Amino acid sequence: MLWPRPLLGKEGATMHVKKYLLKCLHRLQKGPGYTYKELLVWYCDNTNTHGPKRIICEGPKKKAMWFLLTLLFTALVCWQWGIFIRTYLSWEVSVSLSVGFKTMDFPAVTICNASPFKYSKVKHLLKDLDELMEAVLERILAPELRHANATRTLNSSIWNHTPLVLIDERNPHHPVILDLFGDNHNGLTNSSASEKICNAHGCKMAMRLCSLNGTQCTFRNFTSATQAVTEWYSLQATNIFAQVPQQELVEMSYPGEQMILACLFGAEPCNYRNFTSIFYPHYGNCYIFNWGMTEKALPSANPGTEFGLKLILDIGQEDYVPFLTSTAGVRLMLHEQRSYPFIRDEGIYAMSGTETSIGVLVDKLQRMGEPYSPCTVNGSEVPVQNFYSDYNTTYSIQACLRSCFQDHMIHSCKCGHYLYPLPRGEKYCNNRDFPDWAHCYSDLQMSVAQRETCIGMCKESCNDTQYKMTISMADWPSEASEDWIFHVLSQERDQSTNITLSRKGIVKLNIYFQEFNYRTIEESAANNLVWLLSNLGGQFGFWMGGSVLCLIEFGEIIIDFVWITIINLVALAKSLRQRRAQASYSGPPPTVAELVEAHTNFGFQPDTAPRSPNTGPYPNEQALPIPGTPPPNYDSLRLQPLDVIESDSEGDAI
Amino acid sequence: MAPGEKIKAKIKKNLPVTGPQAPTIKELMRWYCLNTNTHGCRRIVVSRGRLRRLLWIGFTLTAVALILWQCALLVFSFYTVSVSIKVHFRKLDFPAVTICNINPYKYSAVRHLLADLEQETREALKSLYGFPESRKRRDAESWSSVLEGMQPRFSHRIPLLIFDQYEKGKARDFFTGRKRKVDGRIIHKASNVMHIESKQVVGFQLCSNDTSDCATYTFSSGINAIQEWYKLHYMNIMAQVPLEKKINMSYSAEELLVTCFFDGVSCDARNFTLFHHPMHGNCYTFNNRENETILSTSMGGSEYGLQVILYINEEEYNPFLVSSTGAKVIIHRQDEYPFVEDVGTEIETAMVTSIGMHLTESFKLSEPYSQCTEDGSDVPIRNIYNAAYSLQICLHSCFQTKMVEKCGCAQYGQPLPPEANYCNYQQHPNWMYCYYQLHRAFVQEELGCQSVCKEACSFKEWTLTTSLAQWPSVVSEKWLLPVLTWDQGRQINKKLNKTDLAKLLIFYKDLNQRSIMESPANSIEMLLSNFGGQLGLWMSCSVVCVIEIIEVFFIDFFSIIARRQWQKAKEWWARKQAPPCPEAPRSPQGQDNPALDIDNDLPTFNSALHLPPALGTQVPGTPPPKYNTLRLERAFSNQLTDTQMLDEL
Repeated sequence: MLWPRPLLGKEGATMHVKKYLLKCLHRLQKGPGYTYKELLVWYCDNTNTHGPKRIICEGPKKKAMWFLLTLLFTALVCWQWGIFIRTYLSWEVSVSLSVGFKTMDFPAVTICNASPFKYSKVKHLLKDLDELMEAVLERILAPELRHANATRTLNSSIWNHTPLVLIDERNPHHPVILDLFGDNHNGLTNSSASEKICNAHGCKMAMRLCSLNGTQCTFRNFTSATQAVTEWYSLQATNIFAQVPQQELVEMSYPGEQMILACLFGAEPCNYRNFTSIFYPHYGNCYIFNWGMTEKALPSANPGTEFGLKLILDIGQEDYVPFLTSTAGVRLMLHEQRSYPFIRDEGIYAMSGTETSIGVLVDKLQRMGEPYSPCTVNGSEVPVQNFYSDYNTTYSIQACLRSCFQDHMIHSCKCGHYLYPLPRGEKYCNNRDFPDWAHCYSDLQMSVAQRETCIGMCKESCNDTQYKMTISMADWPSEASEDWIFHVLSQERDQSTNITLSRKGIVKLNIYFQEFNYRTIEESAANNLVWLLSNLGGQFGFWMGGSVLCLIEFGEIIIDFVWITIINLVALAKSLRQRRAQASYSGPPPTVAELVEAHTNFGFQPDTAPRSPNTGPYPNEQALPIPGTPPPNYDSLRLQPLDVIESDSEGDAI
Repeated sequence: MAPGEKIKAKIKKNLPVTGPQAPTIKELMRWYCLNTNTHGCRRIVVSRGRLRRLLWIGFTLTAVALILWQCALLVFSFYTVSVSIKVHFRKLDFPAVTICNINPYKYSAVRHLLADLEQETREALKSLYGFPESRKRRDAESWSSVLEGMQPRFSHRIPLLIFDQYEKGKARDFFTGRKRKVDGRIIHKASNVMHIESKQVVGFQLCSNDTSDCATYTFSSGINAIQEWYKLHYMNIMAQVPLEKKINMSYSAEELLVTCFFDGVSCDARNFTLFHHPMHGNCYTFNNRENETILSTSMGGSEYGLQVILYINEEEYNPFLVSSTGAKVIIHRQDEYPFVEDVGTEIETAMVTSIGMHLTESFKLSEPYSQCTEDGSDVPIRNIYNAAYSLQICLHSCFQTKMVEKCGCAQYGQPLPPEANYCNYQQHPNWMYCYYQLHRAFVQEELGCQSVCKEACSFKEWTLTTSLAQWPSVVSEKWLLPVLTWDQGRQINKKLNKTDLAKLLIFYKDLNQRSIMESPANSIEMLLSNFGGQLGLWMSCSVVCVIEIIEVFFIDFFSIIARRQWQKAKEWWARKQAPPCPEAPRSPQGQDNPALDIDNDLPTFNSALHLPPALGTQVPGTPPPKYNTLRLERAFSNQLTDTQMLDEL
C-alpha cells in the first residue's frame, strides 16, 4: 500500500509514522476475511472464473463434483498453456509464395571460355609437359614401340616427381607395378611379354604420389587411361601456372575484345567494356555483365528476348590447350549482383555454332534468420575467414567452403591451392618449393572428414537466389546467313576481309526474363506473441471463462493467504509467550488488558482467539475503533449468512 | 423426530440425486438466469418492460446462434494444412542414375530373330513408297529373292493397308495388291477428323478372333504406321525369347561405359547394376544401393559428381525400331522404378551433356488432409513392380492387371504379374486387338485406374538443368579418341568415332536441399482455444457454462417434471384413498400456481425468522445484486425444506 512520507518532526513524527504504518497494516489485513475458509468462500463467490462459484452454492454432492471439475479444468488449462508456450518457443515459420512479373535488376551474367589460356600464348610454358604427355600417350597406345622414341629428350624431373604407373592386376594377389617408361620396375621384374598384352582390361593406370623425398608413396588409381592422363596433366599444369604471376596469366588468357564480338542489352548497344573482368583459375579470364560493383545494376522491365541480353561470342576453339580441356564451349552463369560467380559448380555450357536462348525465372528464398532458421545474413558470425573478401562480394556458402578448404590446405600442406584465392603472406603450391604438395593435396581432397568439417562450420546465407533457366538451342548462323555474318564479324574484330571466324568458335546467347520472372518465398513467424496471447486467452476462456484479471485476483488471494498465515503465526507466537507468562503469573484471564494490547500491538489476538464460527469476529470487529472503514462491516455482514448456510448444510450432512 | 424418520431423512440426504432446489421450471429458469456466468441471460430477468426483455432475449439467442455458426466454421476448416519450405545445406545422397542405350539389342545379335520381319518391312516400304533397294546398307545380298519362297507371316496377321481417299470403305492390301472391303470402325491415330491432304493414308487392321469385329488404325504419316506395325510384331517376337538370352543380346556394362568417375574417384562397370527393360534392353543403374550403401556428395560442382563416357555403337542400331541415336538417363530414387520410356532425358553423341541437379523433397499429409498414400498399401492395386509405390507404378500395374484379366496375357513393356505370360500370336492370336481396345479405354479413363490410384505422399524431385557443349574439342580429339579406344580396347579393334561417344556429367549444383512440408494448420488445442475465443467474445461463456446448461436444462428440468408427475400421481392416489379431504390438494395448488409469488409464501414457513434481511431493503446504498443473492439463497433453502416436507408427507 502507501509508503510513509518523509518524516516531519522527531518524536511526533515517529508516532505519526507508527500510526500510519499501523493503519496500513490494518488496511492490508482487511482482506476478505480473517480465516482461510472465509477467504476461500469470498474468493469463490466473487471471482470471475466460472467454476468456483458453483462450488459454494450447491449441495454437497454437487459441491464435490464442481470442485473436481474446477480442478480438472485448471489442470487442462495449465496443460494446454504448456503446449502453446512450447509451440511458441519452437520458432516455427510459415511461408508465403508470390509469383509474377515486376521490373527487376537483370541478373549478373558471367561468361568464360572453357579453355583458360590461348595455346599459342602458353606454349612455351607447357612445352616440356606436352612432349612428356605425347610420349606417355605413345607409350600407352603402342607399348611395343617404346624404344623408338628413346631419342627424344624428355624433362625427367616432371616425370619423376609424380609418374604414371601401370598396375598389372591379372594376378590379383601379386599386382605388378610398372613404370610407364619401364626403367625401374617396382615389385617383380616381369617379362616384357606380359607387358605387351597388358591393356585396359588387365592393367589399371595409377598416379604415384610421394612425399618425404619419395619414401612414402600412395597410388591414385584410375580405371581408365583417359582419366589418368587428364588428371595427371592438369596436376602438372597447375604446378606450372602456380609459379607464374597472375598478371601474366591474364595476358595469356582470352582478351575481352577478342571474345565478345557483339552485345546488345534491350535496345542499348554494349561492348566488352561493359563487362568486368575477373581471373578465374579454371577458365582464365571471365567477364561479368551487370555485376553492380561500381555502377548501378541495370533493370529489365519487360519479358522476352527483345528486352534481354544478346551476345555473340567467339571461343577460338582452334587455340585451345589440347590436353587441358576436352570440352569446347562457353561457360555461363547467372548470379546475383555483387556475388562471386562459382562458375565451375553452378555454370552451364553453351555450344558453339548454336544460338542458346535462356529464359530466366528468379527464384528467391528469404529467410528469417536466428532463431527461426539456422542461416546467416552477412556471414560475420561464421568462424571461417573469407578469402574471397578481396573481391568485395557478398557472403555465400560456396565462398565459405572454399575458404575453409584453402585454410585446411595451408595448415596441412603449408601452401595454398592454385584454384582458390590466397590469404596474405602465403604462396601457391608448386613442385619446386613444396615437393610434397601433390600428395598432401590428394589426401586432403579425398578426405570426407575435411569436407564435413567445412560443411559443419559454414552456414548458408539467409537469402538464397536461384535462377531457373529454360534453355533451348538452335543452329546459328543458318547456312544462308553464315557467309555475311562471318564477314561482318571478322571485319569488325580483326579488320580483315577474310573470314577469321568459324562455326566451331561462334556462340550466340540470348538471356531474357520469362513472362513470370520472379517466384519469391518469404518466411514469416508462424507463431507470434499475439498468437500466443490470444490462444492462451482462448484456452483460459474456454475452460474456465477466465482472463488476466482473474489471474491477478488469484494472486491477490494468495497474498491474503500469506497475510493470514503471518497473522496466525504471530498470534500463535504471542499466545505461546502469554501462556508462558500466564503460567508464571497464573492470574485471571486478562480480557480488557488484552484488548488494549490489541490496540497498540500488531497481533490481532481477539480476532483469532474466539473461534466459534457463529458469533465469530463480530463483536471484536466492532470493538476495533478504526474509523472510516464501513465497507468491511457490510462485507462481513453479507458474508455472514453465507457462512451460516455453509455451516448449516455441513451440519446437516454430518 | 422419531428415529425412523431420522434414518429416512438421512437416506434421503445421501441418495445420489436429490433433485434441483427450485420447485417449478419457471423458478429454475429464473434461478439459472440470475446465477449463470454467461452474460445476457441475466439481463433478460433483470430488465424491466416487455420490449426490453424481448430485445435481450433476441440478443442472447443471436449470440448463441453466432457462436454455433462460428464454431461450425472452425470445425469444418479443421483439416487444413500449412506449408513450410525449409532449406538445408548438407551432405546429400546421390540419386540412382539409370543409363540406357536407346537401342535395346545389338542388331547383329537379334537379327536372326527379326530377319523375316525386316524383310517384310522392307517389302512393305518398297511397295508403298517405291523404296529403292540400293540404299540398303548392311548386307548387299538381295533379300527379296529369299522372300519369294516364303509366306508373309506378319502381313497376314496384321495387314498393312493403304486407304484411298476417293474410295471410301476400300483399302488396298499392300502385299497382295488386292482391294479389300473395310467395314467396321476406322480409328485414326492422328486425329478424330481426317484432315490429311495426301491421297493415301496408311494404317493397319486389327481383328478379334473371329475376324468379324475389326478395328482399323490409320496414321497421318507412313512413318508412324510402319513403326507402330513393326513394334507390334517386334514385341510379339521378343516376348518369346527368354530373359537370359535377351540380356546376352544386349550391351554389357563394360561395352556401354568407357570411363566412369565419381566424386574424384574412378569407378567402373562393377559400380553399376543391371536392370533389364523390355523395350530398352540392358540398362545400368549407378548407386543402386547394391552393397547397402548409398553414395553421397559432400561438394557441389561437376568434378564431384558422376562423369561417364558412354559408347553408343550406332552400327548396331535397329533401323525400324529406333530412329534416334544416343542414350537415355533417368535420375531417380534408389527404391524407385526407372520409367525409361516415360521420364528419361536423352543424351546426344559427340557432346557433353551436363546435368546440374537441385534436390527438392515434398511431403504431403495423408488422410484426412489429402488423398495421398504413404506406401501404397491402401490402394487396391497389386504392385507388380519390384519397387516402391508411385502413381506411375500404380497406373501401369492397373493396366497390366486389366490386360491379364481381359486379354489373358500380359503386355510386353511391363513386368509380369504372377501366373501370367507375355502375349504372343501362338497362344493369344487376337491379343493386339484386345490390347488396342484396352489401351484406348485406359487413355479415356474408362478402366477406372486413374480414379483408384492415388499419388504418393512424399517424393524427391531432382530439378535438372541440362546444357550441352561440344566434346571432344577439335584440338583434343586427336589424342582423346585413341586413348578412349585403348580403354575400350578389349572389345573394339578399330578406332572409335566421336559420334559413337557421349559424355555425361551429373552433379549437384549446390548442396541445398529444399523440403516442402505440409503440416496441420490446426491442432486440437488451437481449435479449443478458438472455441474459447468465440464463446468468450459473444457471451463470456466457457465449458463450465455448457456444463451448467446441461445440468439445468437436461437434469434439473426433467427431474422437476418427474417430481411433479410423481406428486400428481401421489395426490391422485391419496384422493382416491380419502376423497373427503380438501386440505391436501390446496398446498400443491399453491405450489403450482405460476402467479403465486415466493414472497407470499415467505411468512408461512419458519423462514420467517430470516425476514430481517428482507427489511434491509430500507437500508440505503446497499448494492442490489448482493441483496438479490442473499434473498434467493434463502428462498431456495426454504423451498427445499418445503418440498422435502411435502415429500415426507
